[in-house]
Amino acid sequence: MSLLKFTIKRTIHGIVVAWAALTIIFALRFISPVDIASALIPPDVPPTARESLIEDLGLDQPWYVQYLRYIGGVVQGDLGYSYVSRISVNQLAINRLPATLELAVAATLVSVVLSIPLGVISATNRHQVPDYLASFFALLGISTPNFWLGIMLVLLVSVMLGWFPTSGREFGFYEAMRLLILDGNRYGIIQWLYHITLPAITLGTYYVALLTRLTRSEMLDQLSEEYVRVLRAKGLPETLVTFKHVLRNSLIPVVTVLGLQFGSFINGAVVVEVVFRWPGMGEFLIRAIRTVDWPVIQGTLIIIAITWVTINFGVDILYTIIDPRVTLEGESE
Amino acid sequence: MTHNDASTTSVQRSAGTDNEPDFGPNTLLKVRNLSTRFFTDEGQVNAVESLDFEVKEGEVFGIVGESGSGKSVTGLSILDLIESPGRITDGEIWFRNRSLADEFNEQQSQAVRDEFVNLLELPESVHRSLRGNSFSMIFQDPMSSFDPTSTVGEQIAEAVEVQQRTSSNPRSARSRTQGYGFKSMVLGSILPSKSFVTEPSMERAIELLELVGIPDPKKRAQEYPHQFSGGMLQRAMIAQALAGEPDLLIADEPTTALDVTIQAQILSLLSDIQEERGMSVILITHNLGVVARVADRLGVMYAGEIAERGTLKEIFENHTHPYTAGLLGSIPEIDEAERLRPIPGNVPSLLDHEMGDRCYFADRCPKAMEECMEKPPEYEINDDHRVRCYLANREFDEDRSIRDHFDGEGGEPS
Amino acid sequence: MISTRTIRNLKNELSRSFLAKLGLILVGGAIFVAVLAPLLAPHDPTQQMLQVRNQPPVFLGGTWEYPLGTDALGRDMLSRVIYGARTSLLVGVVASGFGALVGIGIGIISGYYRGWIDDVAMRSVDVSLAIPGLVLALTIFSIIGPIAINIPDPIVALGFAQEMPDSFTFPGTVAFVIGVIAVRQFARLARGEALSVREEEYVKSSEAAGASNIRVMFIHVLPNTMTPLLVFWTLRLAHAILTESTLSFLGFSGTTLSWGYDISAGRDYLGTAWWIASVPGVAILFAVIGVNLLGDWLRDALDPGLQEGYE
Repeated sequence: MSLLKFTIKRTIHGIVVAWAALTIIFALRFISPVDIASALIPPDVPPTARESLIEDLGLDQPWYVQYLRYIGGVVQGDLGYSYVSRISVNQLAINRLPATLELAVAATLVSVVLSIPLGVISATNRHQVPDYLASFFALLGISTPNFWLGIMLVLLVSVMLGWFPTSGREFGFYEAMRLLILDGNRYGIIQWLYHITLPAITLGTYYVALLTRLTRSEMLDQLSEEYVRVLRAKGLPETLVTFKHVLRNSLIPVVTVLGLQFGSFINGAVVVEVVFRWPGMGEFLIRAIRTVDWPVIQGTLIIIAITWVTINFGVDILYTIIDPRVTLEGESE
Repeated sequence: MTHNDASTTSVQRSAGTDNEPDFGPNTLLKVRNLSTRFFTDEGQVNAVESLDFEVKEGEVFGIVGESGSGKSVTGLSILDLIESPGRITDGEIWFRNRSLADEFNEQQSQAVRDEFVNLLELPESVHRSLRGNSFSMIFQDPMSSFDPTSTVGEQIAEAVEVQQRTSSNPRSARSRTQGYGFKSMVLGSILPSKSFVTEPSMERAIELLELVGIPDPKKRAQEYPHQFSGGMLQRAMIAQALAGEPDLLIADEPTTALDVTIQAQILSLLSDIQEERGMSVILITHNLGVVARVADRLGVMYAGEIAERGTLKEIFENHTHPYTAGLLGSIPEIDEAERLRPIPGNVPSLLDHEMGDRCYFADRCPKAMEECMEKPPEYEINDDHRVRCYLANREFDEDRSIRDHFDGEGGEPS
Repeated sequence: MISTRTIRNLKNELSRSFLAKLGLILVGGAIFVAVLAPLLAPHDPTQQMLQVRNQPPVFLGGTWEYPLGTDALGRDMLSRVIYGARTSLLVGVVASGFGALVGIGIGIISGYYRGWIDDVAMRSVDVSLAIPGLVLALTIFSIIGPIAINIPDPIVALGFAQEMPDSFTFPGTVAFVIGVIAVRQFARLARGEALSVREEEYVKSSEAAGASNIRVMFIHVLPNTMTPLLVFWTLRLAHAILTESTLSFLGFSGTTLSWGYDISAGRDYLGTAWWIASVPGVAILFAVIGVNLLGDWLRDALDPGLQEGYE
C-alpha cells in the first residue's frame, strides 16, 4: 500500500472516530439530568432575559437541530462559541494548544531520556543493586499520584528552595524563540525553561517509571533470544550487541506503548496543568467542565480525538521504519 | 555384532587427567575433564561432566547424543557462551594458537604448553577475542539466529568488520568498538544504521554469501532475515561463521530445523567448505545419519559424559556401549533378536542430587549388570576407540543382570 | 477454578518474595484501617475545631492529641487519613469490580460470538479509547452530577464508637465513572483472551458435544481467561484508587473525606502547614504500592509468562 493510500485511509478513520466520539458526547448531554440553562444562567436573571439568552445559545431548538448545526459548523472548521465567555472555541483552542504541546514534548523528552538508560542499566545488571534501585524508583513512579508529586515538587523546590516558580507560564516557546532569534534576547527562553521544568518533570515521571519497566522487561526478553548468542559467537563486542541489536529490538514495543499511552498523557496533562496553573488545554477543559460549557468541552474532545488518531498514524509510520517486518499493509487493519 | 571379546581387545584404564596433557602432532583442540554446571532453583544441573575429547586439524568431529545430553553446552563452553546460571566449573580447553602461546608464555606459563593455550586459564576477554576468528559457531534454528531488524548483509558484514578490527589489533577491546560512539549508540538503537560496518566489509559479506551459494547475493544482502527461507538463512549463517576464517567451526544441529532435501544441501556445503579450507569442524547432532556422511571421528554423549568415542569406522562397526548400539537403532535383545526399536526409557535427569554414582545409562541399559551400579572408568579399546562401559573388558552375564531392578521405573533404583 | 496448585504457587511466591509480603501487609493494613475506621480514628474526622487550626504533627513539635496535625479548619489529619482509606478502597474495589464485571462480560461475548456483536462492541471501545480516561470520567461526571450515597456505619450504629459520624458517604458518581472507563480495557483484554481460548481443543470438543453457547462460555471460556484478568484487575484497582484521588483533587467528588480532597485543600497552605497536603499523599502512595506489589505477586505466581509493565 502506498503511503498516500494509507494516509487517506487513516484520515477517514480519524474523521469517523472524531465524529463518533462527538456524537456520543452529544447524546450523553441530552440524557443528562443536569439542565444546562439553569446551570449557566443565574437564578436572579429575569425570565425575559433568560428566554432570550436561551434562544441566543440555541438551547431552545430540538436536539437534532442543535446536533446538525453543530456538525455543520465542525465540518467547516467552526467549533462554535463558548457559552460562558462567548469567545469562539477555535480562538480559545489556538491560544491554549501550544502550551499543552510544549508540555507534552518536554515531558516526553524527560521520560525517554531518563527511562531508556535506566531500563538498559537495569536489564544488563539484572538482580544487582542498580537493577533493584531502578525497579524501586519505577514502582514509586507508577504508584505516586501525579498531582501530589507536583505539589511536593512545588513544596520542596519552589517553596523551600525557591529554585523554580510555583506556577504559570510567562513565555510561549514561540515568543521566546522569536525574542532570541530576532533580538538576541535570552530572557524569554530562560523564563520558558524556568517555568516548564517542574511541570515537565511531574508529567514525565509516570512515563519514566512505565518505560523503565517496559525497557527492562523487553531487554531481558531480547537478551534471551537466540540471535544474541549468535552475535556473541561471531565476536561482536558487548556494546554493539546491547545497543545496536538488543536495544533496537526492545524499543519497538516501547514506541508502541508511547503511542498507546497518549490517552494517559492527556490525563496527566490535565492534572499537571491544574497543579501548575499551566494555561493549556487541560486546565481549559477542567474549567469548561466545571461551568458546563458544552461547546468548549466538545471542541476540546474533538481536538484530543484527532490528535490521538494522528499520533497513532505517526506511530504506525515509525513502526515501518524501525521494524522491517512490519509493512503498511499489515498495520492498516 | 557389538559384542567385544575382552580377551582380544587390549584394555587399559585411560590416563588420569591430573597429569600433563599430551598433544598429537595434528591436534587442534583438546578438551580435558571439562565440567559445566547450571545452578538453578531446582538444584545443580551437571550438563557436562568430566568431558575428554580431542579434535584434530582438518577433521570433522561428530558429537552425537539425544537432546539434553550436553552436546550443545559442550560447544557453548568452548566459545565461553555459557550464561548465568551456568558456569564452567572445572577442566581445561587446550587450543593450538602459536601467537597466543608466545604472548602468554611469560606472564601465565601454566596456561601455555608448546603451541597450546588453555582457554580457561586465559583472561575472559582474551578467550572471547577468539570468537569468530579462531572458532565460530552455527546454530540449529537459522530463523531465530539473526537479528530480525538488521539486514542479513549487515549482520555478516559485522562479523567481517569485527574480524578485521581484531586482526589489526588482536587484544584491544576498544579497537573493536572504535568509531561506534555515543551518537551511533543512540541512533543505532532507533534507526537502521551502518555506522559500524564499512563498505569493504559489506563487499566481503556479499562475496561470502556468493561462496555459500546464495543467488543474487548483492540483492539478498539488502534483505532482512524474514525475507529468506530457512535453508538460505542457514547458508547465510555459515557465511557469517566463515567471515573470520576460523580454525574451528562448531556446528550445533545445523540441519535439524530444515527440510530433508535442504539438509543434504547444507551438509554437502559444510563438508565442501571444510575440505576446501582444511578447517576443523565439530558437528553436534542427534542424527547418526548426518554424522555418518561427514564425520571422521565421533563421540557419543550421554548424560553429560562421552560414553564412547573413536573413529567413525570403530564406532559404527565395533561399538561396545549399549547406548551407542541403541542410537544405531538395533538393540540385540536376547529374545527379540535383530528387531529395530527405540531406546526405552527417558533421557536422564541431570540434576546433581538425582544422579546416582553409577553408570548413568544403567536404568535404560539392556545389559546392565551389578557392577554398573558403580561408575565405569573410560577404557581404551585401541588407539582409535575409547568407551565408558564395563562391557569393554567383560561379557554380559545374565546372572548378574539388574534389568528387573529398574523395570517399571525410569529413575533411581528402589 | 482455584486449584490447590494455584494456592501452592501463591504460597511459594509469597515465601520467596519480600515484595509480595510487603504488598500483602500494605493492602491488609489499608483494609484493616478502612473497616475499623471509627474505632481507630482518635477524633471525628469532620469535626472542625477552629482554635486548633494548622497544628503541626507530633514529629514537628505538635501534640499527641493530633499526631498528624490538623488542617486549616482544625480537623484531625490522622482521623481524616484513616477515614480516607475507606473512600479510596471502597471506590477502588467497587469501580474496578464494576469495570471488570461489565467489561469481561462484553469482551467474552464479543470474543466468543464474533461477527457483528464483536464489530459493534469493539468499534465502540476503539472510539471511546480516543477520549482519555480521566477526560471521559470528568465529562460523564459533569453530565450525571455528584451523587453521594449515605451508608450507615454499622460500628457506630452498634454503639462501639461514640462521637463518630454515624454514616459514611459513598461517592457513587465517582465510582461509576471510574468503572465506566475501566470497562473499555477489560472488554479488550477479555475479548483477546476469549478469542484464544475459543480455539482450544476442549472448547471445540464441548461445542461439538452439543453444549450450549452460554454454558461453554461460562464453564470453559471464562475460567480460562481468569489469570490474566485477575492480574489486570489489580492494576485497575491501583489505577482506580489513583483516579479517585485525582477526581477529588480536581473537585469532582461526592465526599470531602477523601485523600485527594485533603491534598487539594492543603495546597494553599504549603508555605505554612505543608503536612496537610503531604500526609494524605503518603497514604495514597502506600495503598497504591501495596496493590501494585500484590499484582506483581499474583502475576509471578500465577502466570510467569505474563508481561511486566503497567497500563
